[in-house]
This record gives sequence, C-alpha cells and structure tokens, in this order.
Amino acid sequence: MTFENNFINHSKEYIFLDNETLLNQREETFKKIFQKNYDKKNNESLKNITITDLSKFEYFYKPKKEDSTISLIDNFNYEIRVVNGICKNYEDDNIEIRNLTNLDFKKFLNQNNNYLDDIIIDFNKIFLNSGFIFNIKSNSKLKIRLIHSTSDNFTIFQNNFVNFKKNCDVQLEHYFNFTHNSINNINYNINVEEGSVIKHNIFENFSNTNKLYLTSNTVCEKSSSYNQNTYNFSEGFVRNFHHALLNGEFANATLKGCFFLKNKNVCSNKTNIIHNAEHCSSDQTYKGILNDHSKANYYSNTFVHENAQKTEGYQLSKGILLTDNCSFFSKPELKIFADDVKCSHGSTIGPVDESALYYLRSRGISKNEAMKMIISSFIEEDLQNLDIDGAKIISNNLSDYLSSLVDD
Amino acid sequence: MIFLNINNLNVSIEGKKILNDFNITINEGEVHAIMGPNGCGKSTLANVLAGNEDYEVNSGKVIFKDENLLDLNIEERAQKGLFLAFQYPVEIPGVNITPFLQASINSKLKNHQKPELDNLSFAKLLRKNAEELGISSDMLKRSINTGFSGGEKKRYEILQMSILNPELSIFDETDSGLDVDALRIVTEGINKFKDPKKSFLIITHYQKLLDYIHPDYVHVMRDGQIVKSGDISLATEIEASGYKNF
Repeated sequence: MTFENNFINHSKEYIFLDNETLLNQREETFKKIFQKNYDKKNNESLKNITITDLSKFEYFYKPKKEDSTISLIDNFNYEIRVVNGICKNYEDDNIEIRNLTNLDFKKFLNQNNNYLDDIIIDFNKIFLNSGFIFNIKSNSKLKIRLIHSTSDNFTIFQNNFVNFKKNCDVQLEHYFNFTHNSINNINYNINVEEGSVIKHNIFENFSNTNKLYLTSNTVCEKSSSYNQNTYNFSEGFVRNFHHALLNGEFANATLKGCFFLKNKNVCSNKTNIIHNAEHCSSDQTYKGILNDHSKANYYSNTFVHENAQKTEGYQLSKGILLTDNCSFFSKPELKIFADDVKCSHGSTIGPVDESALYYLRSRGISKNEAMKMIISSFIEEDLQNLDIDGAKIISNNLSDYLSSLVDD
Repeated sequence: MIFLNINNLNVSIEGKKILNDFNITINEGEVHAIMGPNGCGKSTLANVLAGNEDYEVNSGKVIFKDENLLDLNIEERAQKGLFLAFQYPVEIPGVNITPFLQASINSKLKNHQKPELDNLSFAKLLRKNAEELGISSDMLKRSINTGFSGGEKKRYEILQMSILNPELSIFDETDSGLDVDALRIVTEGINKFKDPKKSFLIITHYQKLLDYIHPDYVHVMRDGQIVKSGDISLATEIEASGYKNF
C-alpha cells in the first residue's frame, strides 16, 4: 500500500484518536516525508535504509491483550512479555507497567526529541499504534527480562517510556524475537534518575522476514550510569539508533554493540551522545563480523557542550570482513565546544588477521577452528557485562553463526 | 626412515627468488644451526617448512618422516610433528593461552588417533611444564602473547613446544631481542627438551645462542643456499670475521 493510503487509513489508529494537536503533528510529519523534505543524501545515518520500505507496507495491527504476560520469577526478578506491542498492566512495590492510553497525550506533547531529527522516529510518530509506561521505583535492585515478540504479520509502531527512579540498580535483559513478516518500529524513551546504575543488554535475533527499527533516547541524570550492549544476530534487517544525553554531572553512558551478518543481510547503526554537564564520561563502540554479501554501516557522534568540562568521550568501531563482497561503512564524528576534555575516536575494518591465523594453524589447529577462535576473541571483552544466562545465549548464537560460516 | 630431507628447493615470494636449490638433510636426534647474513633466506626456509602460504614453492622436494611435506597444509605439518618457534610471536588478544594450547595438543592427539586430554589432565601437564620454565600461573590466564615482554614471548614459545612435543623444532632467530638472562632461560628450556628422537633446526645470527645449545652441525647460508657446513668452529669463525669469507 502507498504511503499516502497508509496515512489516510491508519494514522489514527488506537491511541490519541481525539487529540487534535497530536494529529496535526502527525500530518505535518507526513507532509515532510511525502514532499521529500528531508536530506537522505548527506545523512550517513540513513545509509542502507530504503525509504520506500518504510513508507510502502501492508498495515496490520489487531493485538490481543491476553497474549501478554508478566511473571515474577522471584521478588527481584521479572519476566515481561510484550506481544504485538501490548504489555500486561501490572504494579507492585518495585515496578509499575501499563499500556499507554488516550489520557497520556501530554507525554507526547511534551516530548521534545526533535533534536534527534530522524526519519525513523518520524514514521513512528505518524503510525503510532502502541506503547507503554514502565516505572522502576526508587532504590530497586532488580533483574528484568523484557521480551518483544509478534504472533502475526504485524506492523508495530511503538513508543515506550521507561523511568528508572533514583538509586536503582537494574539489569535489563531485552529480547527481540519476531516471527512471521513483522515490521517493528520501536522507540524507547529512557530516563535514568540520580544515582541509578543500569545495565541494558539488547538481544536481537529473528528471521529474515522481519524488520526492526529500534531507537532509544536515554537521559542520564547526576551520578547515574547507563550501560547499553546490543547483540545483533538477526537474519532480518535491523536499524539501531541509540542516543544518550548526559544531563547531570558525573554521569556515564556506554552505547556498545556487536553484529554478525551473513548472506545479503543489512544492518544500520547509529549512536549519539551529548555531554551537557561536567565530569561525565561516554563510550560508543560497535563491532561487526560480515560474511557473504552483507552490508553494515555505523555512524557515531559525540557532542560536547561548552559547559561540559572534564568530559571523557570515546568512540571506536571495528569490523572484520570475511569476504571481498561484504562492506562496512563507518564514520565517527566529534563536535567539541569545551576546552578541557579527553576525547578520541578510531575505526579499523579489514579481513581476519592472516598472521594470527597462521600462528594458530602452525600449532595444529585447523583453519576453520582458528578462524572461529579469532572471531570469538573479537567480541570476548564485550561479554564481560553479561551474566551466565546472557553469556550462554551469546555463546550459542555465536556458535550457530560460526558453524554457518565454514564447514570442517 | 628419512627424517628430513630438503632437495633442490626453490622458493619465491611475489616473483622474487629467495631459496635457490637449497639442500639439507637432518636425521633424528641431530641439532643443526643455520647462520647467514640478513636477507639470505633463513626465515623464508623456516616459514616454508611450517607451511606459510605467502611463499611459492617453485620446485624441489621436502621429505619429512617419509612423507612429502609440501603436500600438507600448515596444521597437518604441525600435527605430524613440526614446530616453528616464531621470531616475532603474534599477539592474539582475546584468545586465552590455556584453551588454545589444549585445542592444539588435542588436535595432534586426535590426528594420531590417541585419546584427547581432558581439562584436568591438560591443566596438570601445563602447570608442570610452565613451572619448569619459570612461567607463572597468572601468565597462563592471559591472551596469547598479549602484553608479553620479548623474553616472555620466547619462553611461551618454548612452553608450547614442550606441550606439543614435536619431533622437529625450528627456531627462527629465537635470540633476537633477548637479554642475557632471558637467552639463558630459553636455551635451558630447549636443552631440557633434547633427546635422541628429537631434532632441531636453529636459525641465528650469533654464536652466543649456539654456545648454550651446542649444535652438531653449523651451516652458512648465502643467497638462498648453504655455502659451507661444519661444526661449532664455523660459528666461531663467523663471530670473528663475519660473512665476508663465505
């Protein structure tokens, strides 16, 4: 279906049906895209993204609330299943989660994420059909497993609000396991309040008939720490855009990712960190292994405001190309307006280190096994953040990926 | 059994001829040293024997334990009992020493249709051999050669040799970058490993290493071939007057 028809038929779905201001905003955004009033050519973050894929799709959204579940594994350990964009409403002493309703329109009116200037977010605004508010209460020490899944050919345009209140210590294990032919444009607005420490591990693994456009916009308050690690083993298209704003002094944000591509798979990555307070630190590191005819891009940006003295900001991208037919485009960018900062960026992309391969083989290890050792070693340090369950998942996914590369 | 026989070996890299009708025979239990000026082809010889695919063998034969070595790939040569101690051991961050060495020994044992070592048996073997070489257990937790000093890297090469138990060990300028103490430790490791079933090919520039190892034969190499063979006195002659007489 054309973009225009989709807009006419589906831009007023489910939530905020009656809010004229929001509907006007949608209309304006629609016009901007429809009239091609955006710059794709000079926007590296839209590399490998086909706009027609975003605009021409078969809209389908008929969720059933009863599919979603929430289980309390123990007092500090939750499993929340968000099925087709819908979660189960729930509250206890530690958390509160509920689906958005029409009454939540103020959240959207107040939402100021125009500075992200991203066409994926624009599509999310236009076709928004689901979302939830998830509050983690002060001083909670929790492990939360949050699972997104689909049960049909859904087109999900979701906007979620996660608020970690003061002094939380949370490990959020975030899974995206889609089936059928789903399109998932999911936006997370995350607020990390003073003193909270958040480990956010994102596992993306689904078949090539599904697409995920995942955006996160995190605000870190004073002395908070937000540590995000994204692991993408998907055969389907993934676009990761993760943004963090360091808004209080002594805050820290880490946006890291690993992706493993094969066949003709495409993965687009963008991270962006804004330093807006003194004594903050950030790290943006993405690593990828590419095989066959796969393609990836990574665009990273550190912006240091003039008031953000004593900033430490690092960026790195690394890629291993296993064939001559795959490609990885990487562009780090720094914009620094303070004069007392430590910032760096780097990028290395190339084939497997032949001298390392030779060394391992000279000790009797087969070429395939040596290749697997080198590739595993490439992400070894990125597994440190995971607990045993997470490490097991990555280890199994990596093993599947490696076994598809080479046959002994 | 022919242990190692290299016959009229010609090797080039990127069209440039490096080994030129090279010949040598090494029998079981013998220690041979090859000396020669920079660029004469010593390291090329070591790498060609180990199977480095950057080099092109134009003609010639290499028989190792009655088999045509040139028909085997890099790992098959190692599994057959050939070991190269690298001049510049490669750093491989993230690949831990212990599982790597266990995989190495087990691939060899598997190839010889012998039972593989379980974790416990391997840990015992590794600890024992490491202690003998003065290698701390902390070092065994690290990634291959990563952050090692020059001496540590060479000691770790000797440790690998002692675990893999090869019949032919080739040392490519093992003495380069080593101070006197490190050289003594490394050569003691080699000497401990000597026995009548094991052979060595030592490539070096200097007599000092050979004073510790006591080779049975010393060869002088120039322009890709051996130009003179003799005993340790040849090394003394080179030390005194260089390579100009060869």
